[in-house]
Amino acid sequence: MILPLLIIVPLLTAFLITFIGGKKDTAAVILTLFAVTILLCMSLYSFIITGAQTQTYQMSAWAIPYGISLVLDPLSGFMMVMIAIISFTSALFSIQYIRHLQQDWKYYALFMLLLTGMNGVVMTGDIFNLFVFMEIALFAAFGLVAFGGKAEEYEAAFKYAVMGSVSSTIILFGIAVIYSATSSLTMSVIAQRLPLLDQKMVLWVGGLFMAGFGLKTAAMPFHAWLPDAHSSAPAPISSMLSGVLIKALGVYVLIRFFFNVLGAPRLFLTLFLVLGSISILVGVFLAIGQWDMKRLLAYHSISQIGYILLGLGLASPLAIFGAVFHMFNHALFKSLLFYNAGSVELALGTRNLKHLGNLSRILPVTSGTSMIASLSISGIPPFNGFFSKLVIIIAAIKTGHPVYALVAVVGSLLTLASFMKVQRYGFHGEKIIEKTVNKVGWSMNLAMICLAVLCLVTSALIIPGIREAIMDPVVNVITQKSQYLHVVMGR
Amino acid sequence: MDASLILIYLVAVPLGIAALNSLVPPLLQKVFTFFGLAYTIVLIYYLFLEPAASLSYMDLTLFTVDRLGLFVLAFIQLLSFIILIFSLHGLDKANEKKFLLLYPLTVAVCNGVIISENILLFIIFWGLSGLALYLFALLGQTADTPKTAKKTFIIIGGSDVFLIFGLVAMRFLQPGTNWSLFGLHITLNCELAWAAFISLLIAAFAKAGGFPLHTWVPDFSKDAPVESAAFLPASLDKLLGIYLLARMMTILFEINVTMHLVIVTLGALTVIFAVMMAMIQHNGRKLLGYHAVSQVGYMIIGIGSGCVLAFAGGLFHLVNHTIYKSNLFLALGSVEKQTGSNDLDELGGLGKKMPLTFIMAIIGAFSISGIPPFNGFFSKWMIYQGLLEMARDLTPAQQIWLLICLILAVFGSALTLASFLKFLHAIFLGKRPAKYNRIREAGINQWLATGLLSALCILFGLFALQIPLQKLIYPVLVESGYPIPEFLGTYNPLLVLGLVTIAFLVGIIVYLATKNVRYDENYLGGMPALEKYRITGTGFYNEIRNMRPLQQFYNAAEKKYFDIYDLGSRFTFSLSGLFQKGHPGQLQLYVLYILIGVLVFMMLIR
Repeated sequence: MILPLLIIVPLLTAFLITFIGGKKDTAAVILTLFAVTILLCMSLYSFIITGAQTQTYQMSAWAIPYGISLVLDPLSGFMMVMIAIISFTSALFSIQYIRHLQQDWKYYALFMLLLTGMNGVVMTGDIFNLFVFMEIALFAAFGLVAFGGKAEEYEAAFKYAVMGSVSSTIILFGIAVIYSATSSLTMSVIAQRLPLLDQKMVLWVGGLFMAGFGLKTAAMPFHAWLPDAHSSAPAPISSMLSGVLIKALGVYVLIRFFFNVLGAPRLFLTLFLVLGSISILVGVFLAIGQWDMKRLLAYHSISQIGYILLGLGLASPLAIFGAVFHMFNHALFKSLLFYNAGSVELALGTRNLKHLGNLSRILPVTSGTSMIASLSISGIPPFNGFFSKLVIIIAAIKTGHPVYALVAVVGSLLTLASFMKVQRYGFHGEKIIEKTVNKVGWSMNLAMICLAVLCLVTSALIIPGIREAIMDPVVNVITQKSQYLHVVMGR
Repeated sequence: MDASLILIYLVAVPLGIAALNSLVPPLLQKVFTFFGLAYTIVLIYYLFLEPAASLSYMDLTLFTVDRLGLFVLAFIQLLSFIILIFSLHGLDKANEKKFLLLYPLTVAVCNGVIISENILLFIIFWGLSGLALYLFALLGQTADTPKTAKKTFIIIGGSDVFLIFGLVAMRFLQPGTNWSLFGLHITLNCELAWAAFISLLIAAFAKAGGFPLHTWVPDFSKDAPVESAAFLPASLDKLLGIYLLARMMTILFEINVTMHLVIVTLGALTVIFAVMMAMIQHNGRKLLGYHAVSQVGYMIIGIGSGCVLAFAGGLFHLVNHTIYKSNLFLALGSVEKQTGSNDLDELGGLGKKMPLTFIMAIIGAFSISGIPPFNGFFSKWMIYQGLLEMARDLTPAQQIWLLICLILAVFGSALTLASFLKFLHAIFLGKRPAKYNRIREAGINQWLATGLLSALCILFGLFALQIPLQKLIYPVLVESGYPIPEFLGTYNPLLVLGLVTIAFLVGIIVYLATKNVRYDENYLGGMPALEKYRITGTGFYNEIRNMRPLQQFYNAAEKKYFDIYDLGSRFTFSLSGLFQKGHPGQLQLYVLYILIGVLVFMMLIR
């Protein structure tokens, strides 16, 4: 079975690195690259063979409802592919980038633990198990945010840890309430028993989870930890956090819990809509005023997460498709943008937009790919961000919510404006910069080129035919809410 | 040739050329582009023979071309071909490769916009044309290039999102159209319909450069390569923007008289604001850029008025404008490439050194100023007549309103002439600075391009009825269900030409008969005037700049109080500052936000 391997491989690599990587950092690099390549192949393979099916795996052969099960349905598979792509490019990018921070092996060990946590979260069928994996990922993330070792990085990590713990407490509280009411921690069993219980209690648990996982998602007003944490972390980690962590721990769990377990109650869908809209607008207004490139990008994560929540809240199949599509696209272009920021920081020693200028001559790959990523996130055809935003706008109007469509439109306009700012000051400014502090090596360039190509190629997911084959099974998992329960229990 | 194949070729051929151009050196790029664009002109000829082409995929109609589309397509190909001739030699070496890569790409996407019947394809091509504009803007070499490129794309790309919103809203306001653009016909009777109408208007105005979304045009004209200024804001973007406006007025929306009047007013404001700004410019390209805006006003008036004659005049003015304005940009470009300057204060006296360019510039300037018998006069005259005809059916209050707009438009035309006298004088007449004594005439490809455009100015002026109107514009009217308009007054270009010629001849006879001219040096205080006392063409207009009521207006304009882009960015940054005050980095505060969030949830659930 491939399911447990997807968790075991990164976990094992993390321990192997700590055992043998202590003296020679190169071993850690090789091990990590090896592991992420295997994970990429395995997740692609499992996503393809899964098709529209669902695979389950009972740990230690204890059947539901006694044991912990791993579930790989198209949604989980899709998340795995996304995580694998970003972690692969991040590992590639880290080879040179992390060298200047020393003690690489610790970094790679934490990196693999982060990956373990995320893979675990998206595959587990047990809610407490999910909590444990989430904490693994979070603690690795706290460590990685502080990895640079500067004062503000410790501060950011500390804030992140405090707010992360607050949310974890809220989530744990919710899990405890659920367990006391249903006597089970398996999500499919919970989904089966919840309709029989007092609905007020169910909504209450929903409220707790909404707040707890809303914080992991960084939706307004639970967003305040994100800009500090994401901008202080080393660039490849920023891209892991912004690109996949907030989605694996946040959006994915929200989808799984509110759609598959609770059956998408009206109240929470409205909450998704409202939180999404607020996040889009406030996030983008906060972003446009920033001069630190990574901080600007971090605020945009809040705003883009808003689009995903908006799509989920509309809840029509088209809107869900838009949300899932945008989630994937956002992972690609936001990671790419963080790599760009990282490579600028490495090459010039600053990421303050005011000190940058025309970089197209000294950093051709960085400025070229940053242009593609900026156009993607701003929603300019033919790049992927355009299509997912278009789908969300169409869905909003189709379901009779033109006001939310207008919010998306205004958000998109301001996103464009702020990325024009990035391009104007950061990459095509007046000042022609001739000298670099460090050279940007091939591995960093390769990581950026990979994602830039993907930004264009994934636009093809909109084409009828390709869309039905790849995206529809994922969307069906979300729209056919109770199907999850039947499929998982069916074994 | 199969008509639906032609439609594919119109996009695919230039696109293929662009793909080829990414691999080959500039010389081959030029050869490929030249023959590729020549071929698209041939394709247009075939389309004229077989005008009802369309292409479907499954049950969706993707591409269609009707008479309006064909009309615009024809001029896209023509203008891009002529401007390419200008670009064959003398492009800025640093960006030559990129320019020649973008050029066919832009033609491909602009063709795509016009032939798309499917709403989504239309949106995609429209967005791509905006992207092409941005990439051209980045090729500029001036210090302000980054700023201008940013501004241009924020306005153009930002208006695209509104286009998306508007078209999608229309699609769902009128179900059953299966994403066909031409099947839509919306009456403005609910908020969503109004929102869609305004959104489309924003997109059309931004693209064409209508007030108040025009501010990118002068900046782009100043900072981007001069060929691209002639290519995009003066020609292709005008064609696209006004095409959208014409579609809105003919098939997409059903609007009432008041709305027509509002659009006419916006047009009149565009004319007068832009021409006032143009008069005081010292940079030749910026002056032309403001005129590119001001002329859009006439098109908006014509097409927005809802009167057939004015509508036809608006379309005619559109093509006239693309012709004479690219002519003027290219003439200025020739001067700039020889002298290295486009500053009206520095240039002067080049008429003798560059006679061909001078003649072309005169023809362009007379056309834009609406001097008969050139083409610009004919279309403006049609628009004025159309407005008078429209006034017949209005209430007295509306008549006065319309009359004010008409006066503004006519006044704008007079100011245009004033401003072009300055333009011609500053570059070609007056005393030549010593440093320009060794300047030579522009290269053969450059005056050939401007010459072709000038010839079109004259041809469309003298044979306005026979060629452009009857062959190209009347079919559009017939197809849209309009009657062929009747002219109110009598105007015969050939007669006027005859009269002007007679007057001119008489003038020459009088001159020859009384020829008594003495040439002298200028003296100042008994000394021959020094270089620094040279009178520049811009000098006279400083009076206008400092005139009492106008002075405040110009001061405000220079502080960018009328620039919607600047106002928008001020608003955005003040709001951003406000939000940032709520994020001082204090953990306690952030945890408080979380608690408030949780409490709100709990209260909602209660």
